[in-house]
Amino acid sequence: MVATLKPGQGPLDYASRLWLKILFGVIYVMLYIPIITLIAFSFNTDKRGVVWRGFTLDNYVKAWNNDALIEAMTNSLMIAFIATIFATVIGAMVALMLWRFKFPFKGSYEAFMGLPIVIPEICMGVALLLFFNFSGMMTAVIAMPWPLNLANIIIAHIAFCFPFVTVVVRSRLVGFNRQLEEASKDLGATEWQTFWNVIVPFMMPGLIAGALLAFTLSLDDFVITFFTSGPETVTFPVKVYSLVRRGVSPEINAASTVLIAITVVATIIAMKLQAPEKSGH
Amino acid sequence: MGIFTPRFKPNRRDLLKGTGAAFAGVTLSSYKAFAAEEKKLNLYNYDTYIGETTLADFEKATGVAPKMDLFADMDELFAKLKAGNPGYDAMVVAGDYLERMIKANMVSPIDHAKIPNMANIDPDFANPSFDPGLKFAIPYMWGTIGIGYRKSAVGDTVIDSWKVLFDSDQFAGKISVLGDAQNVIGCALKYLGFSFNSTNPDELKKAEELLIANKKNIKVFAPDNGQDLLASGEVVACQEWSGDITQVMKEDADLNYIIPKEGSNVWTDNWAIPTGAPHPENAHAFLNFILDAENGKAAATTIQYGTPNLAAKKLMPESYITNPAVYPSKELLANCEPTKYLGEEVTKMRDEIWTKIQAA
Amino acid sequence: MDNWKDYKKVFWILAAPGTFWLLLFFVIPLAFLFIMSFGGKAIVNGEVSITDYAYFTGFENYLRSVEPLYLQIMWKSIWISALATILCLVTAYPIAFGICFAPARWKPILLLLVVLPFWINLLIRTYALIAVFRTQGYVNLTLSVVGLGPYEMLYNDFAVIFGLVYVYMPFMVLPLYATIERLDKSFLEASLDLGATQFTTFKNVTIPLTMPGIITGVILVFIPCLGSFLTPALLGGANAIMIGNVIERQFKAANDWPFGAAISFMLMFATFAALMIRAFVAKRSAGVDV
Repeated sequence: MVATLKPGQGPLDYASRLWLKILFGVIYVMLYIPIITLIAFSFNTDKRGVVWRGFTLDNYVKAWNNDALIEAMTNSLMIAFIATIFATVIGAMVALMLWRFKFPFKGSYEAFMGLPIVIPEICMGVALLLFFNFSGMMTAVIAMPWPLNLANIIIAHIAFCFPFVTVVVRSRLVGFNRQLEEASKDLGATEWQTFWNVIVPFMMPGLIAGALLAFTLSLDDFVITFFTSGPETVTFPVKVYSLVRRGVSPEINAASTVLIAITVVATIIAMKLQAPEKSGH
Repeated sequence: MGIFTPRFKPNRRDLLKGTGAAFAGVTLSSYKAFAAEEKKLNLYNYDTYIGETTLADFEKATGVAPKMDLFADMDELFAKLKAGNPGYDAMVVAGDYLERMIKANMVSPIDHAKIPNMANIDPDFANPSFDPGLKFAIPYMWGTIGIGYRKSAVGDTVIDSWKVLFDSDQFAGKISVLGDAQNVIGCALKYLGFSFNSTNPDELKKAEELLIANKKNIKVFAPDNGQDLLASGEVVACQEWSGDITQVMKEDADLNYIIPKEGSNVWTDNWAIPTGAPHPENAHAFLNFILDAENGKAAATTIQYGTPNLAAKKLMPESYITNPAVYPSKELLANCEPTKYLGEEVTKMRDEIWTKIQAA
Repeated sequence: MDNWKDYKKVFWILAAPGTFWLLLFFVIPLAFLFIMSFGGKAIVNGEVSITDYAYFTGFENYLRSVEPLYLQIMWKSIWISALATILCLVTAYPIAFGICFAPARWKPILLLLVVLPFWINLLIRTYALIAVFRTQGYVNLTLSVVGLGPYEMLYNDFAVIFGLVYVYMPFMVLPLYATIERLDKSFLEASLDLGATQFTTFKNVTIPLTMPGIITGVILVFIPCLGSFLTPALLGGANAIMIGNVIERQFKAANDWPFGAAISFMLMFATFAALMIRAFVAKRSAGVDV
């Protein structure tokens, strides 16, 4: 299992081990084969995307001119963006509370926080449908202008996303050495400064992982979105599921490809912007 | 055993039921704004299940910009509207679901005086069993369920019976059937010589046994992608909706669609106005617009199902009218039954049978 | 750990938003369904009503949910989910490990690359998966070049397990990444310096230290797998039904919300029982503080 080390390699320099690199490569390839297929199909002239018939850019032109599709995409991104921010903040706060404090019925409270993870989506979707109708929120919210008419969907997404963030952030916090916190306070930092300069940086990988998870969950959710949406708030998954009966068109593949491209570019820009700040530390 | 019905659905219907005339006056007054109804219209439909430019044309003609929300199947539509109408004005609904929704007061009657184009409706569709006299909806599209197959792969075998899917190991592992209780059990019942809508437990038991016995030959219960499986060569024969197969037939001449001789199902999709629709005037205008000859033609051209709109049918090309997959022979159609709403108890019974078949 | 009474203000600030949100937008809505799960459809004018419910008719929905038919489906869902979770852990661990030990500038890119496929809609992804693995898909086309196959890879239980692994991969990778990242590398060095092999170090040091992440990942993958319905419906063969499909059907085609609610709550109770047993065992073995 252990490869021979090249000179200069430390025993912990796992990243340059050949076997890990190969394993890594194989798994990434597995992850990406379907995605590459999908991207390839977005250039396919075959309407049903079943067999390869020839290269075209028509699907992109059609997707671009399809207002309904663009609107669905915008709605989905908007919902995922807002829901992720709220879910990450709320989720991290709960994780901090669970990590730091002893309080009565803590076990039950933790189980309570896990409920949205445990419940089948359709059950939660129907429950929220009943709730929003009963409370009058359905009619109130759908009468509002965009993006406020997405509020019900966003509320629902926050509710099922933030427990995931809590779980991830909490498993990160378990390893925190509280002496660091005490040291910071001994050095004269206030509670807030300690939190901001010691605990938050330590939580960061957990926050990033949690936020990515929340974004993924929100962007892909169909069932709960379907039951909480009003007449003017079609999201991308709702559109896609509805298309199935009539066959998924390559337009959707084109739109998905564009979505990937946008996220990749946005991430690269964000990383470039962050880089100088990091080197300054 | 106390029965009470909590007001989960604070809609007009419940208010009327619950508090009587005083409230009725208040709620009905909201209808007084008829003439000055806002220029909005919220439709509920399958995606792409409408003429390509119909929505834009409607806006041009009336100044009302329609918004179309989407569902994936009838069950979703029903589940969502069951708790109250969140603001839809018109929706596409299949015959049996329309019947169910009429029973549950989930659709409101249409005013024929506001839909002059109803004169365009084929007399064959003017009096459907699920909505006698078209009191609640206008017919939109119709089609059948049958067998799609690959001509070159079945060789000399004549495909004209459900036998190939339900009672034969000739194409073991190379056939698919639909993924929903109603249509699979219904067609199996037809094969056995019973009614598609049978409620007789013995007959249903026989259909269950038939399907379980033949399950080893079935590759997959395809939720809605039988035509893809067929087009990609995954299966040689599948149970599917007529329009799905006609779509792939256009691209692959080796495929064909038939209605089995034992008979099958003939369904109709309709446009109806759900109870509590905020813009009923615009909804009526839209229903009338859909029944217009040119717009009916546009829908039939995009969707490739049969149109119940005679004026539109006259405008369609020869290739469409003579396509046996779209317009099957009268003899075959005579054997086909419409899907009926069978009541909650039978729905439950059929669902449990379906679970047993899948788990067997 | 601090006692909440010593820092009441901090405690309440941290606890309030999440608790409030969950109570209002989750527990209260769910209470509707919980009540419904003890009821049935109302009989109006001698006919079973389509939309109205009778409440507190007894436990018949729960009794129905433990009939052999449903228990059998439940059991199948459990073992399929368990296998998928194990496979997911085995593949995700090296990924998370590799990301954590990669050069700093590569980390965000590698992490993003893991998550990126999941920003494509699940249904589209599953269709793409079908295109790759079907009898005339790309894998079989490639194999036929070397004279192998075609193999039947889809429409069986294995395809469902594979599909689930593929779908829930980030739920495993992300928590693992968050814990391995904070792994104190000096422990590993110490172990290696003291003469332990890489394997022993991994088994005795790395795994126990990353246990919280493993457990989180297992929970986040296993539970959603249990409730999944799309993957079995599209990738499974003729008998690929899972409990998620049954639940979905009760809320949709069967229009039997009380029964659907009852199975959902049974599933939840079972999950909680399993989590409690786990917590109990963890306490007894006094292993890692989770």
